[in-house]
Amino acid sequence: MTEKRLELPQGTLDLLILKAVALEPLHGWAISERLQQISRDAIQVQQGSLYPALHRLERRGWIKAKWAISENNRRAKYYELTSQGRKQLEAETAAWRKLTDAVDHILDLA
Amino acid sequence: MLSDLIYRLRAFFRRQSVEDELQEELQYHLEREAEKYRKAGATPEEAMRRARLAIGGPEQARQQCREARGTRLLDDLLQDLRYGLRTLGKSPGFTVVTILTLALGIGACTAIFSIVNAVLIRSLPYGDVERLVYLFTPNPHFANVPVEAFGPSYADFFDLQRQSHPFASMTAFEPTSFRSASENTAIRVAGARVDGNFFSTLQSFPEAGRAIGPEDDRPGHSNVVVISHALWQSMFAGSAQILTKPLRLDGGLYQIIGVMPSEFGYPHGTDFPVGDGVANRTDVWVPLALSPQQRAAREWGNGYAIARLKPGVSVRHAQAEMSTLMIRLDLLHQADTRGWGAFVKPFRDSAVGSVRTLMWLLLGAVSLVLCIACGNAANLLLARAAARTHELGVRAALGAAKGRMIRQMLTESLLLGLAGGLVGIVLAYVFLRGLLRLNPGDIPRLNEASIDAQVLCFTLLIAVLTSVLFGILPAFFAARINLVEFLKTGGNRGSVGTGNRLRSSLVIGEIGLVVILLAGAGLLLRSYVNVEAVQTGFSSSTVSMNIRLDDQYASRDQRLAFYRSLLDKIQSVPGTESAGVISALPLSGSESLGSFWVDGYANQKDQLVNGRTITPQYFFAMGIPIVKGRSFTGEDAEGHPLVVIINHAFAEKYFGNRDPVGLGMRTPGPHDPLKTVIGVVGNVHHTSLEAAAPPEVYEPLWQTDIGQGAFVAIRSLLPPENIATSVRAALRTIDPNLAFAGIETMGDLISQATAHRRFQTTLLTIFAGTAMLLGMVGIYGLLAYSVKQRTAEIGVRIALGASRGRVLGMILRQGLQLTVVGLLLGLAGALALTRVLVSSLYGVSAVDPITFAAVPALLLIVTIAACLIPARRAANVDPMRTLRDE
Repeated sequence: MTEKRLELPQGTLDLLILKAVALEPLHGWAISERLQQISRDAIQVQQGSLYPALHRLERRGWIKAKWAISENNRRAKYYELTSQGRKQLEAETAAWRKLTDAVDHILDLA
Repeated sequence: MLSDLIYRLRAFFRRQSVEDELQEELQYHLEREAEKYRKAGATPEEAMRRARLAIGGPEQARQQCREARGTRLLDDLLQDLRYGLRTLGKSPGFTVVTILTLALGIGACTAIFSIVNAVLIRSLPYGDVERLVYLFTPNPHFANVPVEAFGPSYADFFDLQRQSHPFASMTAFEPTSFRSASENTAIRVAGARVDGNFFSTLQSFPEAGRAIGPEDDRPGHSNVVVISHALWQSMFAGSAQILTKPLRLDGGLYQIIGVMPSEFGYPHGTDFPVGDGVANRTDVWVPLALSPQQRAAREWGNGYAIARLKPGVSVRHAQAEMSTLMIRLDLLHQADTRGWGAFVKPFRDSAVGSVRTLMWLLLGAVSLVLCIACGNAANLLLARAAARTHELGVRAALGAAKGRMIRQMLTESLLLGLAGGLVGIVLAYVFLRGLLRLNPGDIPRLNEASIDAQVLCFTLLIAVLTSVLFGILPAFFAARINLVEFLKTGGNRGSVGTGNRLRSSLVIGEIGLVVILLAGAGLLLRSYVNVEAVQTGFSSSTVSMNIRLDDQYASRDQRLAFYRSLLDKIQSVPGTESAGVISALPLSGSESLGSFWVDGYANQKDQLVNGRTITPQYFFAMGIPIVKGRSFTGEDAEGHPLVVIINHAFAEKYFGNRDPVGLGMRTPGPHDPLKTVIGVVGNVHHTSLEAAAPPEVYEPLWQTDIGQGAFVAIRSLLPPENIATSVRAALRTIDPNLAFAGIETMGDLISQATAHRRFQTTLLTIFAGTAMLLGMVGIYGLLAYSVKQRTAEIGVRIALGASRGRVLGMILRQGLQLTVVGLLLGLAGALALTRVLVSSLYGVSAVDPITFAAVPALLLIVTIAACLIPARRAANVDPMRTLRDE
């Protein structure tokens, strides 16, 4: 199980979090679950990196947090994308695509 | 950016609730994770265990979140501040000594900077000073007359104004003084006659009313006056109806049209190297209103001209253009003195140029004092760091990061530095008041120095800077603690040896700086003593005063009659021994040069000499000795043979070996009638005490003439105040409209002439003294600490039979070694640096052997005194007690 897990390159987690909260506001646990599900368990985010990343993104004004009642009737902190965050997501997605295309291209040629 | 700041601030100030939220969030996460495993079939305990494993250490996550919040620096700072305050409070003696040392340095620096700020930095009350220039028309025919005496003639001025392109505007003005009536006594006010462009060229505007404009600058429309803020306050008590009031000046009635703001007092005496009695600040401005004849006067200028350069025009360009114009204008001058040229001088150079060196010198000296204070503070901190080895070692052993410990130490030094800065500001107020009392009067705007926002910013800056400077070494030293060593010795000793070497080097450096300052002060002191010892050539108890006749005394006969009756009246005042009138009094800043011709001498074209017109009793009144021949008498008047008296310097230069008495000379030119030299008098220091006495020629007033202004010299048995009262009374009986100004003894004038040097010397001596005191505190502190550290060793030495004398010598030797090394370094530095003082020295060389011998001697004596206390303490160590302690 551990060998299937991927090391995330620097800064990628921020992009993934932004993408995860782009559809609807999510709380921390749900974000990590969603990332895990979508990546088919390839990516598993540790609490130790998830929450600092959330705080960092909030500080930059790309996501904002609010407390709400969760699906199991508990108080939970939900994060949602700000308009600034949406722009950032678009920009980073484009940059990521460009990078991976370029890397693919080089790998294919070689 | 803003959201970032708000986020950080909230995280910082509402730290507890942010932490709680995080706790809740992490808890929620854990529970959901556990719930997931429960749903998959695990028991609640098993689910919780697996959830904990899966999500990792919660404390680690919390710490990383804190860092992500970006408040860690702030959090640490707060912690460091609290810790620093606590540790400083625990050793009040150390804290107080350090703060006082720093306060002394910072306070002195602040006070000097407030002066530099007022004199050099603060903007002058004129618009864009960089574009203002003086225009002069120097003439090489009069080579020994300073260039600043050559304001353009009015004809030249108006031609320049018409034809020159580099200037946006030009103004001409004449400094003068007026007699005005205040209550029942006549007073003299400093004034200037200015043309209609004066205020607009300077771009200085009145605070009330309007300035003098071109419409006022016409004969017949010129009875208007602009007054200074100071005069408004003193003469009119700040009256709100000031613009409706008239002002009587020299018998004319002027309408007040404007009041200038308090910072404006141009022209100042300090603006011109050839003072010619221009007052320190100008209080009234009236229109120049030249007549057509005056406007056409081509030969000599009476005043000054200022121009404002057009934007983008350089001084060099203006100089080139004015030179070209003057070549043409020169041809319109009289043929025999042609050669009128052009000189464009930046306004700022005149306004601040002459004192710039002094200001930098003072600032440099005071920063050396600050460096020494820093050295002491660093040494105290180092000693404390060594004493705190235990505490620091424990912290390091508990895992404190090196950077964190350095930051902690720097926070402490910052606290000390800021406290030193605060106390320093208080000291600076005191210092500045003392400094202003020393005001020599020739430094422009010195009395406007104050501790304003700009100065406070400077203080804050140097407080922070010095904190880092004196804190960085101890901080690194503290962080370099050798942990292994520390733990091995049971936490009792750290690496102390390196610290001692560092401290010794600091003390050596301090002593070096002290030597430089002492040498500088010594050279200035020696110069000052030399200047004070200069034989002025006249008696310092003679009372002198200045008088200026008004337009009623238009003819020579009227003037001569006035002076005759004035002298008669003064002679009849009881106590008067002798009284004389002279056209230009020594050290009064007035000067008159004339050409002459000596029969039987290889006369040069355009040779000039200081010429004076005097009445017969002048030499007796001034106590100037007659070396040969006789003085003038009442007989040497019109209708009698023309006579002159020369001074010793003149006789030597122009008559050489010949006995001048009975020989002849002519003034001004070779074709004028022969005048017989009837006497030779002693040399007099006329313009300054420091320049050699120039050749002088005296002519009897009764055979020549005198201008509107003159000086009266009186030798009397009465004290000066009584003389003043009785001569004022005498003057009133002759003409109640006239007033004396500047009633002073010649001793006062000598004192004014040396005031600048006194100011410079006093300050540098005080700095050197302070530096020496700080240096001694430094060396004392080092030795006292070292003795304390070596108590055990010294105890063993004594127990093994070392005599107390030997121990005393050992400690003294340690102190003297440092001093000698510092001394040698300092002497080398002083030899290199005192060169900047050369222009301020008089009668001593920059490598004066007496100074360079006296400084080491003084320093050694003081060092021995400073070392004696710790040395004696060492000698008195009780071996039994120290051995028991071991």
